[in-house]
Amino acid sequence: MSRIAVVPGCLALLPAYASLRDPVAPLRVAALSAVEWLGPDVEVVGSDAGRRVGAALLDEVARAGAPAQPGDRDRLVVLNGSACRTEKAPGYLDPRAEAYDALLGAALAGPDLAALKDVDLELGRELLADVEALPALVDALAGAELVSVDYADAPYGVQYWVMRWERP
Amino acid sequence: MTLRLRRHSFADDQPLMMAIVNRTPDSFFDKGATWAEQAAFDRVRLVVEQGAEIVDIGGIKAAPGEEIGVAEEKARVVDFVARVRSEFPGLVISVDTWRAEVGDAVCEAGADVLNDAWGGADPELVDVAAAHGAAIVCTHTGGVTPRTRPFRIEYDDVMAAVLADTQAYASRALEAGVARESIVIDPAHDFGKNTFHSLEVTRRISEMVDTGWPVLVSLSNKDFVGETLDVPVGERLLGTLAATSVCALAGARIYRVHQVLETRQTVDMVWSIAGRRRPAQAIRGIQ
Repeated sequence: MSRIAVVPGCLALLPAYASLRDPVAPLRVAALSAVEWLGPDVEVVGSDAGRRVGAALLDEVARAGAPAQPGDRDRLVVLNGSACRTEKAPGYLDPRAEAYDALLGAALAGPDLAALKDVDLELGRELLADVEALPALVDALAGAELVSVDYADAPYGVQYWVMRWERP
Repeated sequence: MTLRLRRHSFADDQPLMMAIVNRTPDSFFDKGATWAEQAAFDRVRLVVEQGAEIVDIGGIKAAPGEEIGVAEEKARVVDFVARVRSEFPGLVISVDTWRAEVGDAVCEAGADVLNDAWGGADPELVDVAAAHGAAIVCTHTGGVTPRTRPFRIEYDDVMAAVLADTQAYASRALEAGVARESIVIDPAHDFGKNTFHSLEVTRRISEMVDTGWPVLVSLSNKDFVGETLDVPVGERLLGTLAATSVCALAGARIYRVHQVLETRQTVDMVWSIAGRRRPAQAIRGIQ
């Protein structure tokens, strides 16, 4: 059995960028909780920045649990949707962003592997989505079932998800 | 070093606002606005709401003027301290006095800090602070008599004099039994100093911070700001805040102020620039 979790590559989750009042407190709670749920042997998959965020989250939680069986590595996949959801979003408002995020979010929650494979990565890049890890996630999700959608929101014009899946 | 102001302790990365509350009819900035007890009390309530950690209650204006005896000074501040103490248990109460007898009475009434703006003119003040477990502010005045203006005072090196006198005063307090973490030093801008001296002290304030003693600065609307910018008392806030920034960057810990909110923002901003304070809430570019 292996576990898979998705968290966003939101740099505000890094300790170096901590504020007095956490601007992403609910996201952080959800992300840490999902990371804590993973077993002791975790592979972090994501873009360069995404892997840094993933590694920082792993550092913050004390993960216990049974030792992993060979071949049963859990995966922490760092990705997020568009950054063009509002006029104040990093990429400004793009009318394609909402539909893109809705499609991707639904495909993740399924999980709908066929739909995930059809996600337009080029459009994702135009919308400043961090979807570099999506192909790897599709592979990891083969035979997996959704455990929970812990977070799905775009509080600063960037679409974040925290989700968990389990593969028997 | 942790700062202990009698019953209150503060971490060494925390800058503190000390709000001036005058129980005087004639202080230079407020000109008697809080002379009436209720007005002074309302001012305490206001500065507490504004986030001041300390109030500095004074019964005698610093400048020369009508002689105020011990009895009159006590009448102005002692009962008031007791009232503030009972209403605001979490507030640090400082009293601006040089007299040991007044210091003793206000500590009895609940004061935490004796702010001796006149550089130890009354040698028994340190004993009073020690006896009550209170903190003391050791200022430099160049040895002038309380409530006199500086006149043709010169120094070979004003900061050397400030360092020598404040540290000697701090040592005296320590020997008298005041706790090490309850001793604060203050260059006392404009006290025994002309404008050039006060500017130099501001410029070199890091030398005081480097002594390891917590540094208090009292810059608020003072004449060195007014003379430097050629502005009257009511127009010195910007100059005050500029001087405040310089002291904050160097790491001064306590700011004795008339305008709490403005000074707090200034010090918070500089504290964050210096890497000692996190931004309140930063998300731009890192969402």
